[in-house]
Amino acid sequence: MPGGFRLHPGTRLLLLAMPGALFVLVFLVLPIASIVVFSFWRTESYVMTAEWNLGNYRTILGEATYLTFLLRSVVMAVAVSLICLIYAWPCAYLIAKHGGRYRLVLVLLTAAPFLTGILLRITAMQQILGPIGLLNMALTTFGLEPIEALMYTNTASAIGLIYLWVPFMLVAIYLSLLNFDFQLLEVAKVCGARPWRAFLEITWPLNWMGTAIGIVLVMIPTLAATVTPRFLGGPDGALYGNILEHQFGATGTWALGSAMGVVLFLVSLLVIGLLFKSVNLKRAGFTGQTE
Amino acid sequence: MSAVGIEGREGATSTATPDGPVLELEGIGKRFGLIEAISEVSLGVGREFFALLGPSGSGKTTMLRVIAGLETPNRGRILIQGRDVTRLAPYARDIGMVFQDFLLFPHRTVAENAIFPLRMQGRSRAEQDERLRWVLALLRLRGLEDRYPHQLSGGQKQRVALARGLIARPALLLLDEPLANLDRELRREMEVEVRRYQQELGIPFVYVTHNQEEALTMSDRIAVMHEGRMEQVGPKLELYHRPATRFVAAFLGAPNRLEARVVGRQGATARLDWQGEPLLAATPGGIEEGDQIELFLKPERIAIAAEGHGPEPRPANALAGRLRDVIFKGPYVDCLVALAGGRELLVSAPPETPGLERGAPVTIGWPIDAAACFPAEAP
Repeated sequence: MPGGFRLHPGTRLLLLAMPGALFVLVFLVLPIASIVVFSFWRTESYVMTAEWNLGNYRTILGEATYLTFLLRSVVMAVAVSLICLIYAWPCAYLIAKHGGRYRLVLVLLTAAPFLTGILLRITAMQQILGPIGLLNMALTTFGLEPIEALMYTNTASAIGLIYLWVPFMLVAIYLSLLNFDFQLLEVAKVCGARPWRAFLEITWPLNWMGTAIGIVLVMIPTLAATVTPRFLGGPDGALYGNILEHQFGATGTWALGSAMGVVLFLVSLLVIGLLFKSVNLKRAGFTGQTE
Repeated sequence: MSAVGIEGREGATSTATPDGPVLELEGIGKRFGLIEAISEVSLGVGREFFALLGPSGSGKTTMLRVIAGLETPNRGRILIQGRDVTRLAPYARDIGMVFQDFLLFPHRTVAENAIFPLRMQGRSRAEQDERLRWVLALLRLRGLEDRYPHQLSGGQKQRVALARGLIARPALLLLDEPLANLDRELRREMEVEVRRYQQELGIPFVYVTHNQEEALTMSDRIAVMHEGRMEQVGPKLELYHRPATRFVAAFLGAPNRLEARVVGRQGATARLDWQGEPLLAATPGGIEEGDQIELFLKPERIAIAAEGHGPEPRPANALAGRLRDVIFKGPYVDCLVALAGGRELLVSAPPETPGLERGAPVTIGWPIDAAACFPAEAP
């Protein structure tokens, strides 16, 4: 090694890891830690007091309301992820396989809605799904019955959430497919596999890790969704996120809100844990080598 | 081990009763846009080791993909064991295929890769196990069953690819430059081994390669492809000794080319003039006095002697030159001989030939029938 000064390998690693670690510490670990601490405190008349207790958790786990909203959010997250998955897989596959030199452009186009804010996009969805929105206008134009009950339902929320998060799923699957050797499908065919069998045996398992990442990217924000259900779901379509948000706003019960946040965080961790338990690195064709 | 022996004998029996070609191609044509990748290829392959030899871009890989059903031909028919498979999908053709980049399934173990075709055919577990045992023994892969492809060496990967191609006992095996990614030593070893599998199993191997040495070592018959056409098809020795076209001559071991003019004929032998030197050659019919012809000479058919060392060769043709370079190859030496006018010829000689030193004046010579002659290409 000409010039420069030598560092102990351990020191080197530490220095290299420092900026990232600092970021994670300041913007992830500290806020979560503070939330965890607050969740064991008490709020009275909009003031938090450091009185350690388990009351907040007892409220969440004891009262059916909170669990109902949590369950609603979980069901919503599963449904939204599933529909995103079914929609994004063929799109990503077609782009990766047949997109040729335009495939990057095609993928970026699916993310074009991100050019504007989430609030604007959801408001725009209202114009489509609303009682006198585009959808119903189109239906009545063709002499069909308008759908009365679409706006301010969980279905409307789901449509909005799918619209918001499907690009994440698509990009995750697309990136996975970019590293996939499509020649393996020819091998499978010559070996006697019909197309769908080749997909199940080769394509799906070798892209499961990317797909699982896509599911996480859609599921986690859906679990915590607030804006979409507020604007599209309406008062009856409220999800866990809305109730959580409420604690920090109108009711001012920050400690309870913190406990709800901790529960949400744990559920998210559970989801990630379950998904990645299903990824066997060897079975995913992940060898740590680039051939 | 006994299983291998039984299967081997069974294969040998079927070789003994060759009932016509297993693979037949009739007027196959394949076009990609404006490019004619294959034009009018007809061919019959029996229970033999058949090499499709040609430079890159000659259409040999496309030909193999057409046979496999990975490409659909624009014209012609493909028959496997008498059955028209032209419009059938690859999985319905009863073929095995081995690819250049091995293309093992990275998420499957050796055993799982090998039995994949049997699983696709819905064979019973017992049959899968039995065949797996057979193929692992045949390809010397025992003990590696549970490894993943990334834990294997290049040679092992190639043997697993062969196992996967052979386990279902297909009607024929297609091999697309399967040894190209192996190092030299291993390639030599595998050449012999792959040939042995063909002999033991008695099914046709259609082997695509750009390496003439590989084709000559392994095959029974060779088809030389050039620009989408078959230049010549036949037993390898016939192609080697009696090339039908200039291209085959040049591609199969005759890098030396001389242009000469016909000055006279005596029966099948023509008197030639090469830069003022008289030469004799056996020429094909249709060549007349005054024609320009090209001679293709194999390095090992040319004799060489250094001046002042032993008897000069006294063959029909003799030319004087100077040794430009001597390249020691082990079993022989390659001599680069510069003739008058700057033309260089490659000559192989026994390594013990005396006086072969750089710059030495030498005489080279060859018999009348050593050169393959063709009319010179119109300029």
